[in-house]
Amino acid sequence: MQYLAWVEGTGFSIWMRESGPAFFSSLIFHALGMAFLVGAHLATDLRVLGVAPGVPLSLMRRFRPVSSVGLAVSVASGILLLVAYPAKALTNPLFYLKLLAALAALLVGRALYRGIMQDPTHDLGRTQVRARALAAVSIALWIVTITSGRFLAYTYNVLMATDPR
Amino acid sequence: MTEALYELGLRTGIHALMNSAWGWPTVESLHFLGLSMLIGAVGLFDLRMLGLARGIPMGALHRMIPWGIGGYVLNVTTGILFVTSAPDQYLYNPAFQIKLALMVLAGLNVLFFYRFVFARVSASAAEAEAPRSAKAAAAISLACWIGVVVCGRLITYYRPPYHWCWWC
Repeated sequence: MQYLAWVEGTGFSIWMRESGPAFFSSLIFHALGMAFLVGAHLATDLRVLGVAPGVPLSLMRRFRPVSSVGLAVSVASGILLLVAYPAKALTNPLFYLKLLAALAALLVGRALYRGIMQDPTHDLGRTQVRARALAAVSIALWIVTITSGRFLAYTYNVLMATDPR
Repeated sequence: MTEALYELGLRTGIHALMNSAWGWPTVESLHFLGLSMLIGAVGLFDLRMLGLARGIPMGALHRMIPWGIGGYVLNVTTGILFVTSAPDQYLYNPAFQIKLALMVLAGLNVLFFYRFVFARVSASAAEAEAPRSAKAAAAISLACWIGVVVCGRLITYYRPPYHWCWWC
């Protein structure tokens, strides 16, 4: 808590909280980063599950930059939002659920990317049960990530370490 | 107009649903999921037309679009729930007004695309470059949907006075 209070007292944290443009541009970039990150993963998962079967599965890897850029933007803007209100997120168990779900979803995505999507023999036709299970888990994990993220705005107990309410 | 919407919300139970314990954040989560589906399907298709992921046949990738439409329908539905529950937070809000305008523009772009461009795009080869008209439609589509997300997030930034709505 003391450390969080120190962060809140820094000029940068105060500016992130009190400047409308700084705070809201971070919120906007967080939403846009999410849209492209989650969107690209959902599209890949749907393809593994059999949607758009004419798209060669291994070629879906060419959309990788979309999810990479989305991830970079989400993480960067997320850190800025965290700097603005460190205690609000870090004292809420839901924040750790969000991080774990996102991390797990990224690992599942990487397993698909490094596994079935690497091998052009799986390009067309029905994918293996294992791959389809991974895709379904990925979709579920992204839904958990989004939902826990949204609920963060409603479930915090402490807004600021320096000014506990 | 706000009163009519508010009455509608009360009569249909929308107001009660949205003000129930976790009503609002649950519907918000669905709204965020819907926008991810829209960007995941429509946005990737736009990016392919703009030249990313050449080698993926555009006609085949287009089969992903119904999931984008699903996201759109989910978001119009959840959006109506927000607006009927707190009409005065939206109707007078310039961010919301611009958001609607961008959605209309995106809709016109969709009509233009399917009327004049789609046939050539869907028949083109895997490695093909999209025609210039398709690239224009893709750029407009991406810009509109990004703008819609930006305006959506800005709705909570503006708490506008009532006279800001010029059409209510």
